[in-house]
Amino acid sequence: MPTETFSIEMNMTEIGPAAKGTNPKEVIVAIAPAFGKDMNKTIVGVDHISVLREILSGIEEQGAVPRVIRSMSTADLAFMGHGAAKLSGSGIAIGLQSRGTTVIHQRDLDPLSNFELFPQSPLITLETYRMIGRNAASYALGESPNPVPVVNDQMARPKYQAAAALLYLKECKSLVKNKKPMELKVEFSIKA
Amino acid sequence: MLQSKRFEILKERPVNKDGFVTEWPEMGFVAMSSPNDPKPSIKVKDGKIIELDEKKREDFDMLDQFIADYTIDPSSAEEVMKLDSMDISRKLVDINVSRAEILEISKGMTPAKVLEVLNHMNVVEMMMALQKMRARKTPSNQCHVTNTRDNPILMAADAAEAGLYGFDEQETTVGVVRYAPFNALALLVGSQTARGGILTQDSLEEATELRLAMLGLTSYAETISIYGTEPVFIDGDDTPWSKSFLASAYASRGAKMRFTSGTGSEVQMAGAEGKSMLYLEIRCVMMAKGVGVQGLQNGSISCIGIPASVPSGIRAVLAENLATTLFDMEVASGNDQTFSHSEIRRSAKMLCQMLPGTDFIFSGFSAVPNNEDMFAGSNMDSSDLDDYLIIQRDMMVDGGLKPVNEEDVIEVRYQAAKSLQAIFEEFGFPAITDEEVDAATYANSSEDMPQRNVVEDLKAAERILQDGISGFDVALALAHRGYETTAERIFSLLKQRVAGDYLHTSAIINKDNVVVSAVNDENDYKGPGTGYRLSPERWDEIKNIRQAISPRDFD
Repeated sequence: MPTETFSIEMNMTEIGPAAKGTNPKEVIVAIAPAFGKDMNKTIVGVDHISVLREILSGIEEQGAVPRVIRSMSTADLAFMGHGAAKLSGSGIAIGLQSRGTTVIHQRDLDPLSNFELFPQSPLITLETYRMIGRNAASYALGESPNPVPVVNDQMARPKYQAAAALLYLKECKSLVKNKKPMELKVEFSIKA
Repeated sequence: MLQSKRFEILKERPVNKDGFVTEWPEMGFVAMSSPNDPKPSIKVKDGKIIELDEKKREDFDMLDQFIADYTIDPSSAEEVMKLDSMDISRKLVDINVSRAEILEISKGMTPAKVLEVLNHMNVVEMMMALQKMRARKTPSNQCHVTNTRDNPILMAADAAEAGLYGFDEQETTVGVVRYAPFNALALLVGSQTARGGILTQDSLEEATELRLAMLGLTSYAETISIYGTEPVFIDGDDTPWSKSFLASAYASRGAKMRFTSGTGSEVQMAGAEGKSMLYLEIRCVMMAKGVGVQGLQNGSISCIGIPASVPSGIRAVLAENLATTLFDMEVASGNDQTFSHSEIRRSAKMLCQMLPGTDFIFSGFSAVPNNEDMFAGSNMDSSDLDDYLIIQRDMMVDGGLKPVNEEDVIEVRYQAAKSLQAIFEEFGFPAITDEEVDAATYANSSEDMPQRNVVEDLKAAERILQDGISGFDVALALAHRGYETTAERIFSLLKQRVAGDYLHTSAIINKDNVVVSAVNDENDYKGPGTGYRLSPERWDEIKNIRQAISPRDFD
């Protein structure tokens, strides 16, 4: 029986410094400096294309409007997320590191606070990323969704702590000092 | 390729679930020695240090400045720095060189010098040095007592059981922050039900933690974190000076405290500046000394997965414990976080602190099951207690614990739960039922406990802070309800706060309410026949495990 094989490709184009949004339905996804560029997979080997696609789909299917920016001067999840929330038309943003760690932020919160935090990146599935997108959209539309269930594993430290640090260090190699976040045009295409 | 059956078996072994990485010195992902670590150097002018480890005073960051001005003794530094590092390493191992003599040398060493000295030593030499250099002669142990639901009755019972096992310090923290005052109360009542003098702490956000200590609901603090580079320190909105201020606040209220630091934290936050983990940790140790705190919890602590992943990483963790003792401070030596899936590996690591003995071998040992440990799990938990007790017996080594009887455990858990029930009634908190007391008496984990009304409990917990319910109020309530022994013990702890003797280095309080510290129990190890030796009574205690059979067991 013949099987169809295809792959999804992602094309990201920088279109200049990210401006403050005005659309109240907007949710910004702030990706870290190396995401989908110098790094292409999360800590458990999920490709960045699928992760971003799930988040964006989640936002869209809930009725909000996604916008993607790249953080340039910080890879710190809290500051990426909070910085993006301040640019977001709705005040809601998602921060996303290359290793997969994710946060839902809101502009009126303290940077180290958040709406929802997903600190254990190895435990986040593609389905969870989609739910994160949906919940961020719900917040943007003024709803109060139930938080996405967080998985906790006390043995995640022995297994992943060192790799997580390694990936963060690698990410930090792509930092550009004092550079403002860049607006990105993201296109997905299917290759047979 | 055909698969080797033997490799298939190896692949499934627990150790292969652990994370290992190759060194990356450029980013500080290296245990004990990085090409970017500075070389030892010092220049003193007019009693002031003007050069430290190849850096001129005008280039100092705030940690350099703090260490140069408050830790290193400028009057002896130039002489000490002329000593060959290898000679100092040998003195550390040499039984004919006293601890006091080493302490004189350490006053004049720079961080890079300490790093060089430690790099000359292998783990056995480090353990020998640790045996000599720890401040208190008698080793001891600390535990975690937490549960996922912050159930106060279970916590009191667990604290009482841990007290029977011999933990001299007990640490709790919260799942839900607003439970904090209840946890402090439960730990205090449970621990003092087992024996007087057990010190307790509630690890929290710094202001609340201090407040509970001031109320006398806790008797010490430990989780005051410091870091080895300026950017990471500033990231936490802190400086060495702000941490000094916090330390003084505890001292002014007569409460014991120590700092916390550890290898790997700077790498984790991408702020290692290319320096080795141990070099940065030595800076933390020396900063703590400069502040004047009596002790330090280190041994990587919550970042243990990072040093544990690189070559010589577990050796670095032992080296940082040793570094703390070099500066005449109490060391609470880690072993307090999950770092390996392998039973062999986690035992091997633990022996590095257990065999030489430290002020607190674990900081702490999870006295509850690891899935109830709200510090994210410890290197050993309540299901490992028999293993630990038997290792003490096998090696004839004092790990700070003693075997217990099941009947005694049940009795003390019951008494602790009953006492807390009485206190709740006295204060008008949501009632503790007899069913809950019974459940706590026999429980293993919070799953064995009936559900409580969390909203009502939280309101009552907040009342403790609002009304300022103090340790003294707790003692009065217990006395009023006929729990005079526990009441007296809590009152004695409060008197210790006024006397202040337990602010001395490495202080614990024994069952007779006597402070045992580096002042009246100074480590005087100078080889076989000196230092800490098991007394015949203590050895009997360790020997007497319930599992051993004797000829009398057979007719």
